Amino acid sequence: MSLQAAAQTTILLGRCVPCLKHNASKFKIKRLELDTNLLMYFGKEEYVYAHDPQKMCKTGDVVLIEQLPKKMTRLITHAVKKVVYPLGDITDPMTGKKVVSGKYRDHIEAVNKVYGKKEGAFKYEEAPPRGWQEDKKDFTHAETYIKYHESEKDDPYAV
Amino acid sequence: MNVARRVLSSFNHPPLTNLTSKTCSRTYAFKSDLKIKWVRPEKIPCIRPEKSGDLEPMSQIDLSQPRMMFRNSKELETADETVKKLFSLEYAPRKEVARVYFEEIKDVVRRHPMDAGSIEVKIARWTGIIRAYQELMERFPRDKRMKVILKELIDRRKKHLKYLRRWDYKKFEWLLETLNLVYKPPPNEFHWITRKESLQKLTDKYCEDLKQERLDTYRKMLQAEQPIFLKEKIRALQFIRSEQQECGVEVTVTDEEIEKVKNQLQELEEKKQSESDDS
Repeated sequence: MSLQAAAQTTILLGRCVPCLKHNASKFKIKRLELDTNLLMYFGKEEYVYAHDPQKMCKTGDVVLIEQLPKKMTRLITHAVKKVVYPLGDITDPMTGKKVVSGKYRDHIEAVNKVYGKKEGAFKYEEAPPRGWQEDKKDFTHAETYIKYHESEKDDPYAV
Repeated sequence: MNVARRVLSSFNHPPLTNLTSKTCSRTYAFKSDLKIKWVRPEKIPCIRPEKSGDLEPMSQIDLSQPRMMFRNSKELETADETVKKLFSLEYAPRKEVARVYFEEIKDVVRRHPMDAGSIEVKIARWTGIIRAYQELMERFPRDKRMKVILKELIDRRKKHLKYLRRWDYKKFEWLLETLNLVYKPPPNEFHWITRKESLQKLTDKYCEDLKQERLDTYRKMLQAEQPIFLKEKIRALQFIRSEQQECGVEVTVTDEEIEKVKNQLQELEEKKQSESDDS
């Protein structure tokens, strides 16, 4: 039933999940479904594939996706429209400032300045964009699995 | 399509043919003929560096430096060599050496000299303790109390790395690099490792690989046929064109068409040439 509801809506807001396809990204879309027995809404998740040739969506991003007029393949039914919130790089829409959990980055920087900054500390201006540790130390771009076979080759996604 | 089927089925692969002949008489307790050997992965305890994600052990500390509490002592500076040696880390308990290591690892990521509670310093502190305890656990494997503390610390660090990733991805990646840690997300669902399921997965993988290999060889075969086909096409097009001109019928084959095919052939040959040069 909810699948039909999602199919009727042309624009959806979804969260990107790991996906190995080259030209598409997978999205988790959460919608509320009415339980008619309890007369209560419960969250229900469904997964949608969207065409994304440049792979601009990374795992965890909140993305606006639009329905294609015609299905591209059996799975790909949507196209990526805009990355609204990249994961871990949030901009406050009211002030346009960067935010880290509950604080502005500027405020944190100001406090550091009062104490005197250290040489080896992390600098936002010099940091490369997200993704430079992919497949090296950060393995969140793909799904991991429980190791089931002892092979000579190393499987980095086995836990 | 028929050609493809004929070519693909013409490969003789003994294990698979056996399998296909067996599928007809597939019954209860069916056993695959494929020579797939499954090795059960050995259980690695959760406190080991392979599982916790630490890529380096506790670093070696310079033992000739004085103890932490005598660092700023004026008297020690003027004391003679024997006294200095007695007050150095060499004669201090292990706890003191580890404390120096904790300070060193925290200094690498500190935001400012007074920083003691930011997320990166917290994670660095836990990392230091984890690495020191991992070394101790190798020496005293039956110390259960330490094992529990170590496991809880590893889990807490992982939880906070998860939070940091959500709040500040750039800092998360920088921290992984500076502390030399690996972060792997937990698998979606837990299941016990069984022989049957593992063999099923291995068989699926084997079939996938086999399919890919056959498709690749078929593609290579078709590519090898391409130049011959194009030459034949050029000859045929030229023949049709000359015939049409001679008979005085409407000429349907243009020079551009023939030229296009010739260019295609030339491109193919150039590509082949460059590939052979590379190899």
